[in-house]
This record gives sequence, structure tokens and C-alpha cells, in this order.
Amino acid sequence: MTENEIRKEQTIIERSRKDPQAFGELYEKYFDRIFNYILRQTDNDELTGDLCSQTFVNALNNLGKYEFRGFPFSAWLYKIAGNEVNKHYRKNKGKKIFSIEELKVRELVEQTTESWDEELINRVIHYMNELPTDMIQVLELRFFEDKDFKEIAFILDMTESGAKMRTYRALDKLRTNFNLKVKYDG
Amino acid sequence: MGKHEIRLRRQRMAARGSDRFRNYSAVMKQHGEGKRIKLITRIFTFLFLIIALIIVFVVVSRWEKKQTGQEQKTSQIENVQTAT
Repeated sequence: MTENEIRKEQTIIERSRKDPQAFGELYEKYFDRIFNYILRQTDNDELTGDLCSQTFVNALNNLGKYEFRGFPFSAWLYKIAGNEVNKHYRKNKGKKIFSIEELKVRELVEQTTESWDEELINRVIHYMNELPTDMIQVLELRFFEDKDFKEIAFILDMTESGAKMRTYRALDKLRTNFNLKVKYDG
Repeated sequence: MGKHEIRLRRQRMAARGSDRFRNYSAVMKQHGEGKRIKLITRIFTFLFLIIALIIVFVVVSRWEKKQTGQEQKTSQIENVQTAT
């Protein structure tokens, strides 16, 4: 995101504080991204629709408290969305779901020797199931949402080094269990 | 097994479509209702505080009145005793 875009976003936020109708522009801009982020954690369209609209209502209600911290506005929306999803799972005591695209899994695990087949994909899913939930969360934000570590740290309320460490640990675990080359960028 | 379940989705996210859930006027409506509830809660809290303050004021002034009445009584008794 360029500085100019961030500045433009800040102007919209300032306007939205006085006139909530102005927030519609940001709603249109980020709706799909937030919807998909929630959908990845619920795998249920109807529930995602509810949580997504609750996310934007919360954002609008708390716009007065929003402070610019060098991140795009979307980071704040991701944070609220994550909280909404966690609230839902706490309330319903269900197992958290991570619904990931096959294409993204293929991107995460760079194949070297073996060819992609059903069994290999099932193995990736099996090992990902064995990782702790907080590790899956960082992997999701890093590889499926393409967030940098600074933003991940902000969204998950942790330090940047903590986010890096958690990602590397998760990737290491996948590499050792898998004996495959895992995309390892930082 | 962790406390989560990984599900594999064959199709891309965009193909599923989120347009039928996109409704900013519903968000605005919910925001407006929330604002109204917040305002009503604030008014009730304010009224409650005022009533509480009035009650405290009445209790304190009654207690003060009682205290001064008792003091007057004891001073009158003392006066009568010294006179006799």
C-alpha cells in the first residue's frame, strides 16, 4: 500500500467519524478480504456473513478509538474479525476450522521430488492438523493472507519477533515431519 | 490432534461469492441501533447517578439535623442541671 493510499484512507476515516455513510467506501474496499478471512476460519457462508457484518458494525462503533499505527486500516479490521471469530468459537465451544485452498497449500509446500497427488495433500492436511492452533493462525496470515510479520503481530496482539518465531517453528515442524521443502521467506 | 480442524477447499475463494452478504445499509442500521442503545444507557446511568446523589444528600442532611437536634437537647439538659 502506498503512502498516498494510506493518507487517502485516513481522510475517509476522519470523514466517517462525523458521517458514518462515508465509511461505506472502506466497507466496499475491504468486504471481500474480510469475508474470505472469516470464511477460512468457519467454512460456513451464512455464519461468515453474520460475523463479517458484525466486524464492520464494531469497526464503525469504535471508529473514534481507532489510532493510526503505521498499518493499513485493513489490519485493524482483520484484528476485529479475528476477535469476532474467536468469540464465536468460545461461545459455541466448537473446534476451530481452517478451510484452506488446495492451490495455497501447493504454494506453501514447494514440491521437489515427489509429484502432487491426493496422498501428499492428505499428508499436508494431517501434519497441519497436528500443529498447535496459534501456529496455524500465523501460517494462515502469512501465506494465505500475504501479511508481513509486523501486521501479523498487530493482528494477533503479539511482538513482531514472536510472530516470526512462531512462523518459523511451524514451518520447521512441517519440514521435519514432511521431509519436503517448505516456502521459507521472512 | 489440535483444537482445530483443517479442511481442504478445492475451489478458489472468489468463486464462492460474497456478494449476497454485502449490505452496507444493514451495517448502518445496526450501527444506528447500537448508538441509540448506547445513548439510552448513558441517560439511564446519568439519571441513576443523580438519584443516588440526591439520596445521599437527603440522608446526610437528615443525619446532620438529627445530630444538631441531639446536641441542642444535651446542651439544654446541661443548662437545666447547672441552673438547679
